[in-house]
Amino acid sequence: MIDCDVHQNLDHVRDLLPWIDPAYRDFFLHAGFDGFELPNYFTWVQPHGFNRDDSVPPDGGMPGSDYETMRKQLLDPLDVEYAILTGEDILTVSCLPNPQLAAAVATAHNRWMIDEWLPRDSRLKGSLVVATQDAERAAEEISAFGNHPDVMQVLLPCANTSGYGHPHYHPIYEAAVEVGLPVAMHVGGEGLGINPPPTATGYPIYYIEWHVLLIQCAMSHVVSMVCHGVFEKYPELRVVVIEAGVTWLPTLLWRLDTDWKALRSEVPWVKRLPSETVREHMRFTTQPLDEPDSRGKLKRALELLDGLEDMLMFATDYPHWDFDRPDLVSRRLPESGREKVMSENARALYGLPARRVDAAVTEARSVA
Amino acid sequence: MSAGVTTERVVALPLAELPPDTSTTVKAFGTTVAIFNVGGQIFAVGNNCPHHGGPLRHGRISGTTLPSQPYEYRYGREGRVLVCPWHGWEFDIESGRTMFDPSMGVKTYEVRVEDGEIVLMRQRRHGNP
Repeated sequence: MIDCDVHQNLDHVRDLLPWIDPAYRDFFLHAGFDGFELPNYFTWVQPHGFNRDDSVPPDGGMPGSDYETMRKQLLDPLDVEYAILTGEDILTVSCLPNPQLAAAVATAHNRWMIDEWLPRDSRLKGSLVVATQDAERAAEEISAFGNHPDVMQVLLPCANTSGYGHPHYHPIYEAAVEVGLPVAMHVGGEGLGINPPPTATGYPIYYIEWHVLLIQCAMSHVVSMVCHGVFEKYPELRVVVIEAGVTWLPTLLWRLDTDWKALRSEVPWVKRLPSETVREHMRFTTQPLDEPDSRGKLKRALELLDGLEDMLMFATDYPHWDFDRPDLVSRRLPESGREKVMSENARALYGLPARRVDAAVTEARSVA
Repeated sequence: MSAGVTTERVVALPLAELPPDTSTTVKAFGTTVAIFNVGGQIFAVGNNCPHHGGPLRHGRISGTTLPSQPYEYRYGREGRVLVCPWHGWEFDIESGRTMFDPSMGVKTYEVRVEDGEIVLMRQRRHGNP
């Protein structure tokens, strides 16, 4: 199994101090009340807490901050072949008003991940977080770190000030294609900092509304990237949508295909069915996988879009409260696509090596 | 052989090893059972959440907001609600039923304290062979 969404975390953002550009050190130590803080998720609060209660490391630190806990709880018992690390609230750098500070914090986080996490375990693979306020600066970040052999993708938040088709973001795509990395967006930053309200009808009141409607941003980016012709301009670009679920995708693409047939003259650079473009260029992680009252209904929903089994990639979202268990998800998928979704689509996208033949199996074979 | 009920007993652990407001797990009846000391009262439930198998032993014991009129928060069942540490499913720790659907729940076990030992009981119905 390849887990496409694992949250490694800091105990506190000030732990990035050794990696921060000295020009920003005073921000870290003295800004605000008690040093720099990222925009936090305390506007809409999960009543039971954002993390699994059993994921707190023995030293009482933040869930996700301790490699040994992650190894014992996730990597070893769930037989994770590779874990794609996606950071935690670092995605909210893109919600900061100050583009220079945001970029400096993202850089410190990338350097921390490369120094402290990627060398620990060959199963750990990284995501390069960039701040989107200054896309040229983000492109420089991608050029500087994107060739690291264990960096798998560029990572953006799902929430932003415009759809990801907008030309503002194109330097990021150009740089990602240049170093051969996909660009991923992970749910994050909805309604925080300089971002617009998290839903199309403004600010929800309750966390459950916020959480259910997180998918709106992802839906907007899918439509935006197709309609702006991003994949016509960057044919090699691949995009991953993380933690936005998937069951909405087939019917959104039905609607987009239907409209395109009538409205293509407005966007003549969109030269083929939007669903075909999405199928070729976009990947979606499965978590949180909806739980209708029968498995058959879920399977039927996933069969509404031809080729969806080639577009999905499994993710646990460890150590978050709504994480998905691989064995349960695998059983709920249409059988024909299980292996693709659980590992092979991610392996192909990220260029990860073929599965090693298990040592015990090799031994058994040699005895035979 | 006639139909009947057999009561199975498992001596779990000394009460002294489970101080108030702590929890533990034991192997019993072919499964893992989570045991809680809630302010001196002992409860035992299957350790695996029926949703995704979350370890209920690590769940928080609390009360919860009771079903109410819109915009009204009424708190109750203090010390009787077990919250799964993973996805937050709430169980009545005595009956094992979930807060959202009484037809769903986790197995519970009768508990006795005998000679300072926590004893779990399970009743099994059996019919003619």
